[in-house]
Amino acid sequence: MTSPMFPVFDIAGSALTTHRIWMNAIADNIANVNTVKSMDQPAYQERFIIAQELPSRSGDPVGVGGGVAPVAVELGDAEGRVVYDPQNPLADKNGLVRRPNMDLGDQMTNLILAQRAYQLNLAVVDRARESYQQALNINGR
Amino acid sequence: MLDLTMQAIQASLDGLAARQRITAQNLANSETPGYLAQTVSFEDSLSNAIGDGHVSGTEIATGTTGDPVNINGNNVSVDNETLSMVDTGLRYQLATESMNNKFRILHDSMRQDL
Repeated sequence: MTSPMFPVFDIAGSALTTHRIWMNAIADNIANVNTVKSMDQPAYQERFIIAQELPSRSGDPVGVGGGVAPVAVELGDAEGRVVYDPQNPLADKNGLVRRPNMDLGDQMTNLILAQRAYQLNLAVVDRARESYQQALNINGR
Repeated sequence: MLDLTMQAIQASLDGLAARQRITAQNLANSETPGYLAQTVSFEDSLSNAIGDGHVSGTEIATGTTGDPVNINGNNVSVDNETLSMVDTGLRYQLATESMNNKFRILHDSMRQDL
């Protein structure tokens, strides 16, 4: 976006983007909750989004910071949960396969957190818009 | 009839209107495979033009965001576009308010019943 005439939009917007990407990662995790791999392959690895605070933007006199950005995706356990499933075509000679080592409860909790954070940031945008609007109406006559 | 300030505000309104149009186009194509989000920039050009004393040289340039694309080749970010809509709307309002002020001054100067 352009120069920060309305800096809250930039800051809250960065959080919207970050939490949208987090929700994408959670969606990917939940989509792969039943992905089975053979023993000679790594299991599906849980996706973790690493977020980092952004430095102050230019023109910010007190240094309130510039929002947040996703900087990396870290991958979880590649060992997975080794389970005995001899019927599975991917099973090795001992009847073992790899399932992802993820807790669906954790994923759902994270999904709620990400969704709430997204909504909160939208609420921030809305309040800021109202405030800026009031400022624009100072001159009304 | 328009002085430099009014011309500058008018150029700014033109640029902001173009940005609103592009934002609307981006949102309309948020699910179109292969569509790349467009941006509008004019502020730097307008600023330079004002510095040169004539705003007619203001260029409204379009570009792309360069954001990573989805599986279907689309890279429109609906939240960013919505924010751009709100941001641009407020800027537009500020510019129209400035224009109103200029006309008020002009209007007041023509009044005889003061």
